[in-house]
Amino acid sequence: MTPWYVAAAIAAAGLVMVLRPGRVALRRAGAVIGLAGFAMLMGFGLRLAGASATSASTPLALAVATVGVIGAVRVITHTRPVFAAIYFVLTVISAATIFLMLEAEFLAFALVIVYAGAILITYMFVLMLAHQSPEDEIGRIGAEDYDRVPREPLVAVFLGFFLLAALGSVIERVPPMAADSAPSASIRTTDAMVQAQQRLPGMQAADGVPADQPDNVHVVGLDLVARYPASLELAGVILLMAMFGAVVLARRQIELGEDERRKAAGMGGMVLDLPENERGGA
Amino acid sequence: MTLPSLMLASVLAAASGDAAGHGSLADAPIVAATAAPELAWVGWVLALPALSAVACVLLAMLRVRNKLPAAATVLALGGAFALILKLYLSRGPNAAPVIVHLWDWMNFGWGGGDWKSFQADVSLYIDSLTLLWMLFVTGLGTLIALFASEYMESERGPGYARFFFGVSIFLLAMACLVMADNLVLLYLGWEGVGLASYLLIGFYYRKPSAVAAAKKAFIMNRVGDLGLAVGIWLIWVNYGTVEYGELFQKLAVGGSDQGGWDRSLIPFCLMLGAFGKSAQLPLFTWLPDAMEGPTPVSALIHAATMVTAGVYLIARMQPLFMLHPDAMTTVAWVGGITALVSATIGMAQYDIKRVFAYSTVSQLGYMFMGLGVGTAFGAAYHVFTHAFFKALLFLTAGAVMHGFAGQLDLRRLSGVRKVPGFGIVSWTMLVGCLWLAAFPYSAGFFSKDLILVQAMSKPQFQILGWLSLATAALTAYYTFRVWFRVCAGPVSYVPGEEAHGDHGHDDHGSQHHDDHGHAFHPHPPRLAMNGVLLLICLGAILAGIPGIQALRGQHNWVQEMVYASTAVRAAGVDHVTTPVAFGMDPHKVVSVFGIAASLGGIAIALWLHLLDRRMADRIRTALLSNGLTRWLPVAMENKWYFDEIYHALFRLPLWVASHLLHFFDRHFIDGVLVNGVGRVPTVLGRLFQPLYNGALQGYATTMAGGVILVLAWVAWRWLGAGGAA
Amino acid sequence: MSELAQPSAGIVVALVLSAVLFTTGLVGFLVRRNMILMFLCTELMLQAAALAFIAFGKMRGDTGGQVFVIFILTVAAAEAALALGLVVLLYRRRETLSAEAWQELHE
Repeated sequence: MTPWYVAAAIAAAGLVMVLRPGRVALRRAGAVIGLAGFAMLMGFGLRLAGASATSASTPLALAVATVGVIGAVRVITHTRPVFAAIYFVLTVISAATIFLMLEAEFLAFALVIVYAGAILITYMFVLMLAHQSPEDEIGRIGAEDYDRVPREPLVAVFLGFFLLAALGSVIERVPPMAADSAPSASIRTTDAMVQAQQRLPGMQAADGVPADQPDNVHVVGLDLVARYPASLELAGVILLMAMFGAVVLARRQIELGEDERRKAAGMGGMVLDLPENERGGA
Repeated sequence: MTLPSLMLASVLAAASGDAAGHGSLADAPIVAATAAPELAWVGWVLALPALSAVACVLLAMLRVRNKLPAAATVLALGGAFALILKLYLSRGPNAAPVIVHLWDWMNFGWGGGDWKSFQADVSLYIDSLTLLWMLFVTGLGTLIALFASEYMESERGPGYARFFFGVSIFLLAMACLVMADNLVLLYLGWEGVGLASYLLIGFYYRKPSAVAAAKKAFIMNRVGDLGLAVGIWLIWVNYGTVEYGELFQKLAVGGSDQGGWDRSLIPFCLMLGAFGKSAQLPLFTWLPDAMEGPTPVSALIHAATMVTAGVYLIARMQPLFMLHPDAMTTVAWVGGITALVSATIGMAQYDIKRVFAYSTVSQLGYMFMGLGVGTAFGAAYHVFTHAFFKALLFLTAGAVMHGFAGQLDLRRLSGVRKVPGFGIVSWTMLVGCLWLAAFPYSAGFFSKDLILVQAMSKPQFQILGWLSLATAALTAYYTFRVWFRVCAGPVSYVPGEEAHGDHGHDDHGSQHHDDHGHAFHPHPPRLAMNGVLLLICLGAILAGIPGIQALRGQHNWVQEMVYASTAVRAAGVDHVTTPVAFGMDPHKVVSVFGIAASLGGIAIALWLHLLDRRMADRIRTALLSNGLTRWLPVAMENKWYFDEIYHALFRLPLWVASHLLHFFDRHFIDGVLVNGVGRVPTVLGRLFQPLYNGALQGYATTMAGGVILVLAWVAWRWLGAGGAA
Repeated sequence: MSELAQPSAGIVVALVLSAVLFTTGLVGFLVRRNMILMFLCTELMLQAAALAFIAFGKMRGDTGGQVFVIFILTVAAAEAALALGLVVLLYRRRETLSAEAWQELHE
């Protein structure tokens, strides 16, 4: 438990140094300290998994994770919002890589397409729409004050330190899957495979042609419609409502007088018992 | 005076030993009630008054201003009477009890076995006691409703419908009370008659005294009803049932030994309920005030029917009153003392209706005494005869009041007998007075005699017997004080306050032109009132037949009905333990004394209130001028200060306590607790206000801090628990 | 079976990365003053949650984790649409993206 706190404290110290605007050297030193803390965290995690669990892809995973963390830190430290958004894309891509390593191929690509492709583009649009970066005296493109100066970084990082330490403690206690108490993962996976084989067209072995092996997309797709149909419908409703909301919000707001408002509420003919000076303007 | 008493003694000599003849009847084991689904039509006895009540409401909503509400009520009540009569004729006086199940009402069960279920259905328990009560309740109800159709005609309109709605509701509740097969349904009826009584006493709701009287009646009845409710609860706790059939079977099989220690409280709780409803000491003061209601209501509810509900309750629950040896003795003494006290108050009242009200309390005292000394037959028979003659007296008083514009002061009315149109009223009133005064050979004489014989023949009750004889003399005196003052003597009258009022004679402008300044014309009763008076008078006369039969030692239908009911069978009362008093046949002794008391009282009334009317005032002045005796008339005229005593004992402490509590509530509860607690959030809010600065991330910081604390706590707990794993 | 008793290295890397990303997102939400970037930080946190789902799903051999990530994507898209719409509205009123411009709303 304690090592997590030490590592989290080191990482937090680095983050504070990175967050504070000022000397570049100090911020670089902070970056190094923060990365060291991150490395310590990863090290504790891997020691937990044991040497037998590591494989050839582990260094690659570590590298990708480091890139992701750097991207994330840049998102929260970069003074220019557009660059922050682009660093976010970096984080998304590294997360997608981790997804690929965890055999979630469909979601890896979905993440890149939806997040990096759709959501981030929306953010960029809005940033461009709402934001004209001011120029300083010599014509360099600067940043707004509110982008340059972080808000109470010490408090925020202190909270983050506690959160990270707590999450680390939880990761430490992720229960090992005892064979007798937990459903066997391989059996589950095999079960899903068999189901997919039975229920999806083109998977069945027929006429001596060997059956296709169902892949990740097949399994996830079948899961989505067969196991969680109601959630799927709800997700559709959420999207629909978000669309309505966006449409309503994006409309131009018209200031209505008292009479128009009353008319809009279907009470146009009513005479309210108000003194003349309290009636709304019309 | 000796001649009639000798004649009577000779009659009675032939009638000795009648009580012994009933021993076998009374010894018969209690007959289990059987279900009789074929009698479901009896439910219409309940349905008809309910329907007429609904009809009255509808007619009031339609703003009907004619006599349709009265017609509907009279028809419905008459129908109910016809049904009861049919039931009686088809069953005979002493058929076994039956239970008619109408529909389920309460039926809870939680597990099996005793005390694990509670059942109270809308079922009717029909035995002879039920029938006896229902016969006179519905019969008199019909007649009095008919009387009221004319009496209340000045109220035509919403008030008329309201009145008959109240009468219908009363009959519904009374039928429910009398015919119930379980105590919960009886309680429903018990409260229902209380409600009807409240509504009808307060009928003239613009009159403050009527409203106060209604409230008084309602609240005093609540005291008694609390006793009844506790009694019912105790019965259920001890015997696990509230249904008569099952309860009496359990009592008959298990005797009085079963149940817990608190079973001996049951009779006293029930007694309290009975005393409240039947206006006995200490809960009697509401009844005289209840005379604020319209007179037909006084006749029906506060003289003939509702107030006998207490007698019914004790008669019905006789087996339970055997649970404590002193229960019946208490009933007897309370009844006897109430009879005496209220008779003395009645002597000094000037309001005719109040005199009759105190006489009602007094006669009810007789009934309780009859129950207490062990003659359920005598008590029930007295209820029966009293219902007729007291209804008659109230109706005649009402007719006088109706005719003389609300005048009820017996000092301001005289010689009504000779006023044209009041002949029937006067003579029927005389019959009522004779019956109430227990004039020899009248029904009242027979029924009172039965009670006195029982009291006299039991040594422990002999004092009570003598007290009752004194009461009988007082009763005869004050009854005839009314009649000699009002009906006899020279014609002279002062009209009441309603002579120029808004109601009374305006509706009869074609007959009487009572404009201001014109002479007052009495307003004699017409067909409906006179006819009803004659019918009830006939009933009162005929009510004496069972008494004559009883004295002759013959079985008569009232006696058979009482003996056939649980009132006697389960308890084995009505045994005359010593059929001898003073070495003679008790009937002879008692009737001699009874006749003497009655005639003596009438004679004194004749002297003081007809022959020499100023004599009464002279006696009063003499008593007042003497310091030693001064208290007597003053106390009697002030009703022995019962209201004042209750005020000092109950209302004053309550008033003081309520003001103390009010002070406490204002300054401690409101001031310290409520407002103090209310100030805490304000203070806390001021403390934390700086955190509430509008910065979005400030809130987010707080929220994240909270989430992290929760997460850390969960992780710590998890680690703590999982450390062993 | 026995290799399932302990989480594999890839899973641990994903979990630690998830924790660090979530923390970074939280800290970012608290320190950034730009409303758009604040929402971007919430996307970062959603990202971390998705990573944890995938990792635990992989560990338990249950594809349900992946399905849940699909729902996270849905919610993230909806949230982005609405939040950005709101931000645009707010920007129109005050001509700035600073969250502190709305500080007087607490009254």
